[in-house]
Amino acid sequence: MRTRVFVLLALAPLGGCRNVPHTATCHSHAAASIRQPIPAAPAPAVAQTAAPRAQVVPASHAQPDLTEPATGPLVERLPAPAGAPAESAASGATCAGMTLASIEDMATTYNPTLTQARTQVDGTLGKALQAGLWPNPVLGYQAEKIGSQGTAGEFQGGFIRQEIITAQKRRVSREKYLARAKAAEFGALAQQYRVVNDIRRQYWRAAGATRLVTIHEQMVKNAEDRLVTVEEMFNVGQSNTVQVRQARVTLQRTKLDLLAKINDRDQARRELSALVGVELPEELYGDELDESVPPLTWDASLAYTLGESPEVREATAKLESDRITVERELRQPIPNVFVQAGPGYDFTDNRTVVNAQVTVQPPIWDRNQGTIQQAHADLSRQRAELCRIELRLKRDLSMHFKQYLTAQQHVESYRGEVLPEAEQAYKARLKSYKQQRETWPMVLDAQSELYQRQAEYVHNLVTWRDSQTLIEGFLLTGGLDAPQNPTPPGHIDATPQPR
Amino acid sequence: MQPGNTRREFLLLGGAAVAGAAGTTFAASDTQPPANVPPANVPPADAPVVREAPAEFGGFSRWKPTFGGPPTADHYLGKLVPGLRGLGLAPVPVEIPDLPKLPFKMVGGVKEFELRCTPVKREFLPGYPMDVWGFNDSMPGPLVEANQGDRVRFIVHNELPEPTSMHWHGLELPVSEDGVPGLTQNPIMPGKSYVYEFDLHQAGTFFYHSHMAMQEAFGMVGGFVIHPKVAFDPPVDRDFFLIFQNFHIAPNQTISDSMAMDWNWHTINGRSGPFTTPLVVRHGERVRVRLMNFSPMQHHPIHLHGHTFWITGHEGARIPPSAWVPRNNTLVGVAQATDFEFVAFNPGDWIFHCHMVHHMMNHMVQQVGPRIRDDSDVSDYQNQLATRPRVRADFTTDSGFRTPGYPQNMQHMHMGEEMMMKIMHRREVQGMRKMWHMGVHGLMTVLRVLPPELYDLVMNSDEMVMPGTVFDRIVKGDYAKDYQQ
Ligand SMILES: [Cu+2]
Repeated sequence: MRTRVFVLLALAPLGGCRNVPHTATCHSHAAASIRQPIPAAPAPAVAQTAAPRAQVVPASHAQPDLTEPATGPLVERLPAPAGAPAESAASGATCAGMTLASIEDMATTYNPTLTQARTQVDGTLGKALQAGLWPNPVLGYQAEKIGSQGTAGEFQGGFIRQEIITAQKRRVSREKYLARAKAAEFGALAQQYRVVNDIRRQYWRAAGATRLVTIHEQMVKNAEDRLVTVEEMFNVGQSNTVQVRQARVTLQRTKLDLLAKINDRDQARRELSALVGVELPEELYGDELDESVPPLTWDASLAYTLGESPEVREATAKLESDRITVERELRQPIPNVFVQAGPGYDFTDNRTVVNAQVTVQPPIWDRNQGTIQQAHADLSRQRAELCRIELRLKRDLSMHFKQYLTAQQHVESYRGEVLPEAEQAYKARLKSYKQQRETWPMVLDAQSELYQRQAEYVHNLVTWRDSQTLIEGFLLTGGLDAPQNPTPPGHIDATPQPR
Repeated sequence: MQPGNTRREFLLLGGAAVAGAAGTTFAASDTQPPANVPPANVPPADAPVVREAPAEFGGFSRWKPTFGGPPTADHYLGKLVPGLRGLGLAPVPVEIPDLPKLPFKMVGGVKEFELRCTPVKREFLPGYPMDVWGFNDSMPGPLVEANQGDRVRFIVHNELPEPTSMHWHGLELPVSEDGVPGLTQNPIMPGKSYVYEFDLHQAGTFFYHSHMAMQEAFGMVGGFVIHPKVAFDPPVDRDFFLIFQNFHIAPNQTISDSMAMDWNWHTINGRSGPFTTPLVVRHGERVRVRLMNFSPMQHHPIHLHGHTFWITGHEGARIPPSAWVPRNNTLVGVAQATDFEFVAFNPGDWIFHCHMVHHMMNHMVQQVGPRIRDDSDVSDYQNQLATRPRVRADFTTDSGFRTPGYPQNMQHMHMGEEMMMKIMHRREVQGMRKMWHMGVHGLMTVLRVLPPELYDLVMNSDEMVMPGTVFDRIVKGDYAKDYQQ
């Protein structure tokens, strides 16, 4: 299987939405210039599944200044589009049309949700940084008992006060937010799949619709021929005015079907343009719909989805974060120690003294019991959430796998039997018409049957590609929906000092 | 030799020499010669002339169109005008174009025939081998010829994958030999044989066929002629047997649909026009045609051009002359036969056909589509499967479409070069007009009445005869003047 490395986090600086600057034309091969040169990674040997798997490789982007770098799936290998050559983008934008790979490469640059996803990772990492900081000391000047014994007071001097964070609350808080950052990174990976999946699905739709337009143009010609034939038959009494009118109705309906297919094609191209974030050329599309791809099995697909899904991994990371939250909140009642000290002058004794103060806030009434309860509740909720996500994935996968399987069975059968047979039937009718044994309406029937089966084939091809894209892409869609906030509703979150 | 002399010589010579010639002409068909077996009843070439044909026929001439009336006269329209071969002879053998005859052997004084019920691939037209069933690998089966008074035995082998039985249509025989499954016998199971044996006391036109209805529709029939000891008076010089059938064979199919109610392939002796072999006779001969209809459900109004024929018999028996009917078109119903007799006084190539328009060609199809469109050809469609040609929407500007009913011209089945070679290279069609086959389709054949020299040129020589030359000599040559006198 051909693969391609898809770099999410090494994005070029963005300038917002734009047009492809005279690049995506077949003459300039400009799509290649947008693409960052990325080496192809070898396919992992996965015995039990033919589906491509995401693979974590070392991060290559600049890390925030943290003692513990966030680890995560910063670079993922996505399944390559079927039939896309390894150097697709570099050489793909040929006159035959823009390849899927070249379009995906443009999206990595221009789809804003990928930027949002990345910035959400940065934001969460910022929280982790913030949560690990020491509180600032308090500096002050103090005068006590001014006027005592007619002096300036018992104490005139400065002080410094520092809150000592006990029980390693800072470290635990930082771990908690790093866990959330990891979740955010999986969220970003999910977003990457959402974008790529949407692009592929629209690409298949656009490619299929382009083919369907050609097929429906033939259907219109068939209906025109039927009308002419019925009119010819009318002149020899073999049809009547009703049949002529009905043939006109059929022709109009066939024309409307064609227009609908053209609208569908244009809409698919426009939607694709929106997903990529640039205006794509109208005509230049490759067509990899027919390329063969290894078949998927239910067991392997399920294992792949539950084992590798960014949503599962995100939820797992959040679970870890919630576990740390409980730990953090359990430490909260352990009082911090406020230490205050400073030199001063005692004017009543006329000597230099030092003031010192240690303060604690004993957890007598507020033992943080409410927040602890909330943290436990959040942890339990997240456990259920993980389970829910897995079950939802299984449910959704069952539907998409059914569609995949049905479409794949159709595609194979149509390729091997249905289309060749329908074509042979049409050819045989033409031949016997030539021999004066067959009637023209029968020829038109066989012709129409061939076109209908061709259209069904294309529909099945698109469904097949669509469901395979979804299955290989963890069923993720929504390439223009804002990435989810890494902090789900109901979670303990922002305080002046995040914790 | 002048044509006039020829005719006079014929008259003077009487029948003997001519009868011998007539007996030998049959082998001329180069497409499907009959089985080389001793015919049941061939008079030897040197058979004694019992008595000569009368020289005078009242007002009737065997050489040109004449009335010969009044209607009560013996020779009215050639009614009782004998053939050229003389009177009192044994009958001439029957000629069955494009089909074999069934051989027999004498076993203990019984004529023993063997019939095998078999699947058959029959070439209805050159290049169109059709799947039907018949006998001895032939559809229709071979002709059985026997004589009145014979005892016959038929050993029937069932080589079909299903039971069958054999019926001897019209014969007055013991009920045990009648061949109706269940009613008179157990069916003959696949791979089994059955023996029928009976005496023939009748004379006339009969046939044999399977008594399973669908097998009948699928082709299982053959002719059966019982000759009288002495030819019926007036004797004929030529005696033909034609079996008319209908089949339904869909386009892109070779297997006949015996369940059909609509028929698109029409055969005479298993061939469709123009592949049917013409009946070639000498000018002045008295001719009999035994025409049998074995179509599943349609009757045939049979029409002969250029002559008035007398109906002298039907299946089962000859009609007494007092009941003969002169016609030029007569209806032959399903499983009926009619004996036509006429004197071939009118030289030329005469169409002999069923007059039902749907039987006058195979595969009548709607004349719509590219075949009637000026700028269109089916090849364009064959060459552009993925993106078919666009039809011209303004076809109605074709002048023909201003006339309601246009087009009525029915284009015939396409005939390739190979097909035409097979049709045009038979001796029987030599010298006919170049495009003669245009008018001969379906249930049609041609009666060729040829003056003796031309008959010999066509049938008894190896000469290549240019298309149209024989016809032109008849229409424009010496004969024309002579015959019209
Ligand atoms: Cu007919």
